Amino acid sequence: MVEFDPTEHEIAEIGPEIKDVDDPDELREMLELEAEGEDRAPVKTLIEDRIEKVEDDEDGEIDPETVDLSEMTVADIANMVRDVDDADVLRDILERETEGKERSSAISQIENRIDSVEGSEEEDGEPAVFKPPEEKYPELDHPTNDKQWVEGTVGGDYRDMWVYCETQAGELIDVSKEMLGKARTLMDDYNDEYGGSEDGTSSGEDEKVIAVLVGADASKHVEDVIAYGADMVVYHEDDRLERFRHKPYTEIMCDMARAGGPLAAEGREDVDWKEYHEPRYTIFPATNNGRDLSALVQGELDSGLASDCSGLYIENEMISNPAKTGGTSDKKEFERVLHMKRPDFSGFEYSTILCIDKPNRDFHPQGASVIPGSFDLPEPDHDREGEIVEHEMELDDEWFRVDVTEYDQLDEGVDLTGHDVIVALGRGIGDDPTRGMELGLDLVDAFDDADLGITRGIVTSSYEFEGHVEQYSAEERQIGETGQVVEPDVYIAAGISGAVQHKVGMDESDTIVTINTDTDADIRNFSDYFIEGDLFEVLPRLTEAVERGEFAKAVADGTGGKNDD
Amino acid sequence: MTDHEHYEAVVVGAGPGGAAAAATLAKHDVETLVLERGVDAGSKNVSGGLIYAEESAPYTIDDLFPGFREQAAERPVTDYYIHNVAGEKVKTFDITDLHEHDTEWSDAVLRRKMDSWLADRVHEKTRETGGGLLTEVHVNGLLRENGEIVGVTCDELDPIRADLIVAADGVNSELARDAGLMSWEEPDEWFQGVKAVVDVPDVDERFDLGPDEGAAHLFSGDLFEGVRGGGFVYTNEDTLSVGTVFHLDSLVAEEAEPHELLDSLLTHPLLDDWIGEDYEELEYSAKLVPDSKKVAHESPHKDRLVLVGDAGGQMQAQGPIIKGMNHAVTAGALAAEAYVEARSRGDTDLAGERYATKLDREGVMDKLRPTRYELASAVGENDLATSIADGVLRSAVGRFGVRVLGDRLENLYSSPFLSMLAPDTRTPYVTMPTVIAEELGTRVTAERTIETPDLADRIGDLTYNTDVGNPHIELLDNSAEASGAAVSACPVSAKDFGGGCYREETVKTNGDEKTAVSLDTQPCVECGTCAIVADTDWEHPQGGKGVEFREG
Repeated sequence: MVEFDPTEHEIAEIGPEIKDVDDPDELREMLELEAEGEDRAPVKTLIEDRIEKVEDDEDGEIDPETVDLSEMTVADIANMVRDVDDADVLRDILERETEGKERSSAISQIENRIDSVEGSEEEDGEPAVFKPPEEKYPELDHPTNDKQWVEGTVGGDYRDMWVYCETQAGELIDVSKEMLGKARTLMDDYNDEYGGSEDGTSSGEDEKVIAVLVGADASKHVEDVIAYGADMVVYHEDDRLERFRHKPYTEIMCDMARAGGPLAAEGREDVDWKEYHEPRYTIFPATNNGRDLSALVQGELDSGLASDCSGLYIENEMISNPAKTGGTSDKKEFERVLHMKRPDFSGFEYSTILCIDKPNRDFHPQGASVIPGSFDLPEPDHDREGEIVEHEMELDDEWFRVDVTEYDQLDEGVDLTGHDVIVALGRGIGDDPTRGMELGLDLVDAFDDADLGITRGIVTSSYEFEGHVEQYSAEERQIGETGQVVEPDVYIAAGISGAVQHKVGMDESDTIVTINTDTDADIRNFSDYFIEGDLFEVLPRLTEAVERGEFAKAVADGTGGKNDD
Repeated sequence: MTDHEHYEAVVVGAGPGGAAAAATLAKHDVETLVLERGVDAGSKNVSGGLIYAEESAPYTIDDLFPGFREQAAERPVTDYYIHNVAGEKVKTFDITDLHEHDTEWSDAVLRRKMDSWLADRVHEKTRETGGGLLTEVHVNGLLRENGEIVGVTCDELDPIRADLIVAADGVNSELARDAGLMSWEEPDEWFQGVKAVVDVPDVDERFDLGPDEGAAHLFSGDLFEGVRGGGFVYTNEDTLSVGTVFHLDSLVAEEAEPHELLDSLLTHPLLDDWIGEDYEELEYSAKLVPDSKKVAHESPHKDRLVLVGDAGGQMQAQGPIIKGMNHAVTAGALAAEAYVEARSRGDTDLAGERYATKLDREGVMDKLRPTRYELASAVGENDLATSIADGVLRSAVGRFGVRVLGDRLENLYSSPFLSMLAPDTRTPYVTMPTVIAEELGTRVTAERTIETPDLADRIGDLTYNTDVGNPHIELLDNSAEASGAAVSACPVSAKDFGGGCYREETVKTNGDEKTAVSLDTQPCVECGTCAIVADTDWEHPQGGKGVEFREG
């Protein structure tokens, strides 16, 4: 008879009671009692769990000195030896395994344990002898072993920061300029800090910013990229490269990166513009095409990639990871490391990615793709001088198997920011919307750098504009809370009452000139000049004044009076 | 069968009706999910401001949510007056007796505070059943299987199946319309209310009230350009709720501007003492109110769907008796009760019928659709009867009668029986109060008139999260004939005002000139007026989008 009869107790009491019962037979007896009595499912589960645990523990009590290894799995052996601290016992186990099943993975587990128990001789300074993984673990598959992108380069010579400058529809896109500006600053600081040569393996010259241009009209942009900060441009031009296709673009950029180095393609072993192995750093735009290209190029060059970065800086870094240090000491300082900061979890967190060589395998170029808009757009310096290199290589027809048969250019919409002057029209044009729009556009044309904005009242109106001005009535020109926010030097508001929803889109403008028939209109409170009058009369007069170069005068006197405030 | 998420009960809308339903369901361990489209419960809700606990009601809000009066309400109503106004002449009747008839208590409330307080408790209670309350989810329609309602569809979530669907989604209930139970056709079935919450930190002194006292004032007479309706002022802790409520058909017929009617109440000399030196309006809001006499659905259910509160037209507005939220609470709890009973009998499909039966047996339906009114309106609500009544009242004989009756009129006004009988014509709303004031009233004057904000400022002071590029109302016919009425009837639009929702425009095409109506939904306060008076495709905005009321 058991001491504890579960049928006489509540479930809550049973757990604590049976946790001290170690005899599986006694537990089985309880289980039987319960099954015949109350037969509560959760109680039975509770007892069954306990039985399983007790029996496991019993199994666990194995004696490593006598146990039959041939009945154990490698994992069991690994678990067992982890608790054995006596090197002699371990050697005995090793001997038995070697004489028995002779499983190499089991053997290495036991050897490792012996090493750690005795203290490895290698711990006093000598780096571990590197054994390639396929030699160290011949019993495993090594699927990447014969892949062409594993270069296995060690101690290569790397220099310069390479910037892939993307063009779209024949234009150098802003992020390319932003990256050049950033690269310029980074490399100027770099040259100050490290003074060119790293270890004397190459000339002591400053390291450069190298712009890469690929496309059907690549040569068109070489002057530009130099103006934005490049020391050297390497470009490849071919009519077949009119649109981005990742295969030829990847082949070209990798060919450039390897030219003049040990892995250079035939005919480009010696080039006069480059004599190192591969770039030290590469940066790409995190655009659709740039993301595609960056991953392929970095893979081909046998390195890594930090994608979608928003910050870059170069610093030395103490690293303790034994995979990187070679396990020789606690920490090792790595020099000239590109720190690549990127947002995680939609920007709730940031992580900084480092791409660091291993003792037996280089991870260069250190590569990043950069989110457009992360860096300031630099001012171009058209007097800058730089070296221009036309890269030549045969492009295999195979690389063009994917053909672009059709494409659409997305309508970018209208960007009203960045103009000197904005002429904005409101529902005051209601009497003759088409004419009002024409007059607004005339005034826009009279200025050097102006554009036309409208209020939400016009966007949502039922005005029927004639075809030639209809395009100006769309939401893309709306200024205000749910449209664009502009701060031009001069904002001319015609027929706009100045609701707060409009105000937030324009009240940071330097000078606000208002034309309105209603002197009580709210907009008067935040206008610098208020011209009382009908926009259909005032706008043409302003246009004439601008053409005569007398805009300021016309606003200040002639067509309207200065506002009280 | 498609593999949709399933709850025993889904409650759409976290107002008092939804809260009462959810709390009662949770009390009976029904797995309940509550979906609310506002950023916070109450952010989409507006009410005049009085909630009642009726002695005859089976459920009251403080039964279901202990601590309600202390924590979620503003002030109890201890004084109740009606003012008959003719120009500056005013005759005031004390109708506290009428107010206290069948009233256990009655409190002024502001809905943002009240509903979000309720929602916290609802979430606690429903979470224990395996459900909970989710905000910013817009339920846009019903999920059907083989033609039968089995769940709801949402803008933000995958469809959800449920054994009981409680449509507590308010006066513009998309679920009630999807089910074909309610429509937006007839303006004479609705009232439109607009309200200003006014900052008055010294309410106690201005109304001569103790801390646990509050006042309610109703207004009728010639204040409102002959538009049928009235006004109210309720005292909150340190603000006033000042509002006007009109028959929508009358608003449309007179082409009246709701915000101007509200201004004529706000600027009446009678209010001068109450509002003080500086008028500061905290919030302008509007709401459609169903006239339960006409639209309260007598069998508010279909398949697994039940309608609760405004969604089912359960808003009692009969003369000076204005009760909505209490009926929503009762209906919500009864719907839950009906489901629980049906479930225990093994057939949840019977919940709807049991709910309708309960509304009848508990006397709710008779309050909403009084039999007396149905008989009286047949005689009293035609033009001939109206002109005769008006003629008699305005005649020497009628005026003599009013003078003779004098203060006995107060007693007549205080009769709940008469209130429920009163026909919906201009006689009780305009003519009678005007004559009373002219004959019996005393002149009220004020030293100054307060300045109320214009419509542009009222809109500008509201908080919106505009769903850019995705307007929730589509104007189907922009002709003046079909939709022109919205220009004045919409509480955030006005003739010759370009900043509102509806604007009248002259469109010239090939020398032809016509008047058209255009719509911008950005300033919309989601009252639903245009769904009735204009030709639109009307939906609520997506969850969390649109206007956000902070007072409510």
